[in-house]
Amino acid sequence: MLSRGGDSGNKNILGSFPQQFENTLAGRDIISCRDFSREDVELVFGVAEEIESGVAGVEDALRGKKVALIFAEPSTRTFQSFYVAAKSLGADVISIHDPSISSMAKGETLYDTVKMIEGYGVDCIVLRHPARGSAKFVAESTSIPVINAGSGSQEHPTQALLDTFTIKKKLGRVDNFSMGMLGDLRFSRTIPSLCYLLSKHDGVRIFFMAPELLQVRREVELHLSQRGVVFRKVVKSEEIREIMPELDVLYVTRIQKERFPDLTEYEKVKGSYIVDMKLLSYGKKELGVMHPLPRVDELSPEVDSLPNAWYFEQARNGLPIRKALLYLILGGVA
Amino acid sequence: MSGESLLVRKIDWGTVLDHIPAWRANQVLKLLNLESLNRSSDISVIVLYNVPSKKLGRKDIVKLYHHMVSEEEAKILALVFPQMTINYIRDWKVEKHSPGLPEKIIGKIRCPETTCITNYEREPATPRYIVEREHGVVVCEYCDTLLEISRIPDFLKG
Repeated sequence: MLSRGGDSGNKNILGSFPQQFENTLAGRDIISCRDFSREDVELVFGVAEEIESGVAGVEDALRGKKVALIFAEPSTRTFQSFYVAAKSLGADVISIHDPSISSMAKGETLYDTVKMIEGYGVDCIVLRHPARGSAKFVAESTSIPVINAGSGSQEHPTQALLDTFTIKKKLGRVDNFSMGMLGDLRFSRTIPSLCYLLSKHDGVRIFFMAPELLQVRREVELHLSQRGVVFRKVVKSEEIREIMPELDVLYVTRIQKERFPDLTEYEKVKGSYIVDMKLLSYGKKELGVMHPLPRVDELSPEVDSLPNAWYFEQARNGLPIRKALLYLILGGVA
Repeated sequence: MSGESLLVRKIDWGTVLDHIPAWRANQVLKLLNLESLNRSSDISVIVLYNVPSKKLGRKDIVKLYHHMVSEEEAKILALVFPQMTINYIRDWKVEKHSPGLPEKIIGKIRCPETTCITNYEREPATPRYIVEREHGVVVCEYCDTLLEISRIPDFLKG
């Protein structure tokens, strides 16, 4: 049985939530999507649905808890949704959102920053940092739970949870479907996390649609191979149209000009990685289009009004997912 | 009489690292980080480059007089230089050592991924690698970056 945190004892706040579930996430770090079991993911989704439907009265679930948001990189959605999630669960929030006005600007290390924040009696740290491995490093440096809110180009596990939650809601399943991942797959932190999470599910086929330079990293390929996930790299932009009819979901990420050593190469391929009405006309009628946002030119606004545009709902799903995560990590089990 | 014995006499105590690929002895020395040892110790290091070898054609040899390579170092050497033979010498007696392979490598290799937290000079993060021999790589435990075993010498911490 799930119960509220703080000093309120064993009160079950998630009325209709299946009581046979044990809270396997209590006190856990959320560093990589590889660490989740499928049961963990379903637990988060179950709680998120309860919270979203308003059945669960979680307003004061984290009263008396302190959540620290340490964001050493720009963020809109992730920071704001974690902030709102923590506040709406009744937690106090300490935040470093602009490192230029914190001691990080004076050269304070991440390690020292975390030790200092820990000393303020914080119950959980939500961290975004440009270094790959930063979340794991911080988790090893402190005894309190750490949630990775983006570790450089490495991972963004809470984004993958909300992405997968969106797929479940819109498609009705997370098994047995085909997904195209289009754009910068090499430097995107959402792609590895999403791949790791999808690898927990059955019958998922992934098409990596990007020029060789921006193709998915080797560690992701290795992980998918080890898990028996069927995937294919689509390097030639002219093949994208041929793949479109196969897809149930198209996940778009931004191609950044500055990643190309030769700008003429960028000019050659950029048009092939723009999702518009024309490209969608090659796909299934019900193809879902996702994007972690922010977008620049890669996703045409003309798509916004189509039922295929899942991305704003996707962004909204960040709130119930992050509330569920904070609740589970800090809420405890009766 | 083999080529090297004409050049350097036998040692009575220490370690002989034989069958190092030709011109790679410096990488072995870097991995052993001998410079960090006490300068006043009685260790002598004898390095032979590019000597004739029946097995390899040409090879390097490192003789560490009065120094025993640790088990951890021996395992890493065996991983990076699979042809190498490691002999411990005690009172002139030669004992061939066949170390197992390491499961982890801690602190010896810097991460090839420049944005890895272990490359942030002032952060106290020691690089740790998991060895995935079947895939011919080691994996950074912090940032997940893969490094081919054959490229480890290029990323040894000096």
